[in-house]
Amino acid sequence: MIKVEGLYHSYSNDENYAVKNANFEIPKGEIFGFLGPSGAGKSTTQGILTGLLQLQKGNVNVAGYDVKNISQKMFNKIGMSFEQSNVYSKLTAKENLDFYRKLFDGQTREPADLLKLVGLDGKENVRAGEFSKGMKHRLTFARSMINNPELWFLDEPTTGLDPAIASEIKDIIRKENNNGVTVFLTTHNMFIADELCNRVAFIVDGEIKLIDSPKNLKLQYGEQLVDVEFRKNGTVVKETFSTIKEEEKQRLQKVILDYEIQSMHTKEATLEEIFIKVTGRGLV
Amino acid sequence: MLKKIWAIFLRDLKVGSRDSLTLIIIIMPILLGIGVNLLTPSINDTTVNLALLEGENPAQAEYFADFAKVELFPNEEAIETRVKKRDHIVGILPDGDRYYIMSQGNEPESVIEMAKLVNMYYAEGINLEDATAKLFEFGETVPPLKKMLTNTLIIMISILGGMLITFNIIEEKTDHTISAMNVTTVSKNAYLLGKSLVGMLYPVFSTIVILLITGFRDVNLGQLILMVIVSSFLSLLIGFIQGINNDDVMSAAASVKMLFLPVGAAIAAIELLNQKWQILFYWIPFYWTYKGNDAVLLNSATWPQILLYSGIVLALGLIVYLYLSPKIRKGLA
Ligand SMILES: Nc1ncnc2c1ncn2[C@@H]1O[C@H](COP(=O)(O)OP(=O)(O)O)[C@@H](O)[C@H]1O
Ligand SMILES: [Mg+2]
Repeated sequence: MIKVEGLYHSYSNDENYAVKNANFEIPKGEIFGFLGPSGAGKSTTQGILTGLLQLQKGNVNVAGYDVKNISQKMFNKIGMSFEQSNVYSKLTAKENLDFYRKLFDGQTREPADLLKLVGLDGKENVRAGEFSKGMKHRLTFARSMINNPELWFLDEPTTGLDPAIASEIKDIIRKENNNGVTVFLTTHNMFIADELCNRVAFIVDGEIKLIDSPKNLKLQYGEQLVDVEFRKNGTVVKETFSTIKEEEKQRLQKVILDYEIQSMHTKEATLEEIFIKVTGRGLV
Repeated sequence: MLKKIWAIFLRDLKVGSRDSLTLIIIIMPILLGIGVNLLTPSINDTTVNLALLEGENPAQAEYFADFAKVELFPNEEAIETRVKKRDHIVGILPDGDRYYIMSQGNEPESVIEMAKLVNMYYAEGINLEDATAKLFEFGETVPPLKKMLTNTLIIMISILGGMLITFNIIEEKTDHTISAMNVTTVSKNAYLLGKSLVGMLYPVFSTIVILLITGFRDVNLGQLILMVIVSSFLSLLIGFIQGINNDDVMSAAASVKMLFLPVGAAIAAIELLNQKWQILFYWIPFYWTYKGNDAVLLNSATWPQILLYSGIVLALGLIVYLYLSPKIRKGLA
């Protein structure tokens, strides 16, 4: 569904790349998670894939179309939910969707159904300008489904939503995926990614550090982590060690020998911890 | 694709109807048109009310009745009383073997002139058909001030059309909806066209309304609409670029206001300046628009003349287009 080779992008048209040598492929039907801290280059990559940003360098094929010279027809197959909600404030929720559906060629979905799906039923005739941030975000999300996309780009679909609604959004994504929709999910929420994604890419400073399934990552890193609290120079220090990395094993031994241990637990690593381990970076 | 362009236009229209500034722009020309009407004498006063002495000269009364509304009165005092009433009626009274015109003084000049003419035609025995033709022509003579104000109003309307586009673009920028538009099947050209429709149709529509209000009903509408459309092309280019360059409606309106400077200069040049200075203003598209509109309003325009003027406006517009088009496209990316 998506094939990216040697993708670079620089906003300043120089060597200062927001995305550096990205290579990945997404088969049909997959939920692919693009994970990284804010500013990592996720939205930039998504922007190039959806033609919002001009492709500068590399080969990108999306839904069978070469992104170098985009055909408008491509957008019949694509849905895009934006990180920053963008709906017409002077139009009602329903009017927003009614207008948007006219901009596609194929079968489109009923605005009323979509609004119900994202919990905006009863708000059909309220102008989007009067919506809360979360409601606008849900409207933006609903709109991205209107053309029955085969390939669905979601940029931070749950960010800023309260947990109950985030969970509903997650269910909708899973349901659409079960119907065969390929999903490109950009997020820095590791729980959502963990639950939804078939595979994830870790991206930091414009570079993809790793691509694998959450399952493999946990097999590789999970249950082999030890949380240790120990007293060092009078203060309590908390550190997590891998029991498979040789260097960390030796450090763990040294800690046990040298300091007074307060507590010690083995545990399953979260995707977030794995991310930190792999990239050496946090997610915010 | 036409359906999508139309959808964009209808959306702009709907949003416009909810925006007070847009509504003001739509209503303002109508009010100004009514203002022009109140300020200047009306055009098509071909019917004149005449007050005559009953039985004094029945043949004359009959002759007059063919192009004027004739009222008969028993004596001079009755006519005087009638003429003094507020509406425009003049008396024609015998004075020896000639006739004189009795007026109140507040009648439009055209009414008096008309009465004199009718009187003269009768005196000279000009037959009815000739007289009617001549009188019709006379009635069509357009008051210059009215023509000038109406013309200026029509040009202003085209600029306001551009301003409507500016408002629309600023709305899309504020709501960040351009990126949502860019992931639909609507191409940039179709989008620009859809957005342009408001800036094209509004001037055409408003111009027609203005013609109806001010009474220029017998002008060659085709010629005028052509002038309006070519001028609007320029206005909408400016509308787009102002929308892109400004983030709020007020600063955009302020920049668009600058346009009234060359417009004013062109009008002043045509109305006030000697022929030898005219060439200095040839570069202003509105100069040619004004000239074209003027000829149409005078009912003296020929198609070759209008095609020449609109061609010049279009050519100047195309130069602006070549310059602005890349900036507009980039601004909407
Ligand atoms: N329009 C822009 N102009 C210049 N730099 C930008 C622009 N958008 C993003 N960047 C920079 O590119 C980098 C990647 O940004 P982005 O792709 O938005 O990150 P993410 O979506 O992962 O948070 C950041 O350093 C950001 O500051
Ligand atoms: Mg982002």
